[in-house]
Amino acid sequence: MKFFNSETTLSSQTVVMSTMELYSPTDLNDALRFMERDGRNATVIASGTDLLPRMRRKQISPSVLIDISSFTEDLRYIRQSDGTIRLGALTTVSDLLESPLFHGRLSMIREAGMLFGAPQVRNVATIGGNICSASSSEDLIPVFMVLDAKLKIVSARGERSVPLKDFIIGKRETALKPSEMLAEVEFSPPGGHSWTAYEKLGRRNMLIIAIVNEALSLSLEDDLRTVRSARVALNRVSGKIPALAVRTNDFLEGRRVTVETIAQAQKVLASELSLTSDFRGSGTYRTEIAQVYLKRLLERCTRQIGGPS
Amino acid sequence: MNKRGITISVNGTEHPLQVDGSDRLIDVLRDQLSLKSVKEGCSTGDCGICAVLVDGKLANSCLMLAAQCDGRRVTTLEGLLEDPTMKQMQGRFIANNAAQCGFCTPAMLIASWDLARHSTDPSNEEIKLAISGILCRCTGYYQIIDSVREGCKGGMR
Repeated sequence: MKFFNSETTLSSQTVVMSTMELYSPTDLNDALRFMERDGRNATVIASGTDLLPRMRRKQISPSVLIDISSFTEDLRYIRQSDGTIRLGALTTVSDLLESPLFHGRLSMIREAGMLFGAPQVRNVATIGGNICSASSSEDLIPVFMVLDAKLKIVSARGERSVPLKDFIIGKRETALKPSEMLAEVEFSPPGGHSWTAYEKLGRRNMLIIAIVNEALSLSLEDDLRTVRSARVALNRVSGKIPALAVRTNDFLEGRRVTVETIAQAQKVLASELSLTSDFRGSGTYRTEIAQVYLKRLLERCTRQIGGPS
Repeated sequence: MNKRGITISVNGTEHPLQVDGSDRLIDVLRDQLSLKSVKEGCSTGDCGICAVLVDGKLANSCLMLAAQCDGRRVTTLEGLLEDPTMKQMQGRFIANNAAQCGFCTPAMLIASWDLARHSTDPSNEEIKLAISGILCRCTGYYQIIDSVREGCKGGMR
């Protein structure tokens, strides 16, 4: 039982007492009832690919874990109906990559999936876990943010819907109450003349936490030049918090996609970012890359219509 | 700490086990079932050396609680030793000196075998993708990539 031993030990006999309890509810309702009663002391574990390393590094020490990983019947699905795509919280990143839905207009989701962890992490890591981890290292948050995703949150007392952009309220802080659990991610794929793209910078391609990641969903008017709506989101906009680049999005709306517009939008983006430095990169470097990515994303999203004019 | 009873099918055999809530899959495989091909590297999901197949899918056994594998099917290298594709893959690794210290080799072989199931003629990019989650720090990847390509074809140059 070496899990909580931070010292390296080669002896399999080493026993370290742990105060962590694992609760394995029989079904979703059982889990929600437990959380209604004891949620304050409990942490939900799905695949554990983010939680377990953080526990190992003693960044967190939950006293109770509630294992929801077996609720695949209730929470692992990809459904499309009436122009809305619904993803169960236990949908894995590999599930996204294997789905036929994320080609063409929604190819950004595949791009992000292919740069997520590595195959053996993608096979188990869940989209719900990625969102609820709520840090700047989560690759899927900017992607779902630019799709204006809504989250279905359930508890023993019912359910509510929260836009993803309002869900992340701080570094590793979400709008979830102790009794609540994320059940579903819902979004409407952009219609009309729309494109999406994703960029991620890390020190290597696989198994890496992003220095910067940035997603764009761009819709143009029928003239194929004027921006109907632009949504840019980054893994960090202020400090370590992923968010939409609201001022940049407002700036782009109604403007024609030209070389000058892009240059101006880059300046707007730089002015609204307030990024901190850490061992992965300085705030200045991140701001520079964010601007480069904005240009690249706008160019990629307009490639089919001949690029910026 | 209360132990709990779980059953995991490991390499085709059902194993009733007593585990703590905080025991990871790797702890059970190595310490209770003596499956030492499963190596512990970083313990935080960064090196992939502990990779096994869970329900036929590659996964890091250090990032999973044993209790989460109750009722599931786990395959380690030990369970594939008699498999013809694995024999061919191992043969190519040996012929190409694709194992210097050997620490990453079990994980490399599992990931390569998983690729060979789906592809008999993988491109370099497909091979790199298949082993992209596993770090090798001494052999170098060229011999490994050559071996995987040959192993997928059936091991003959």
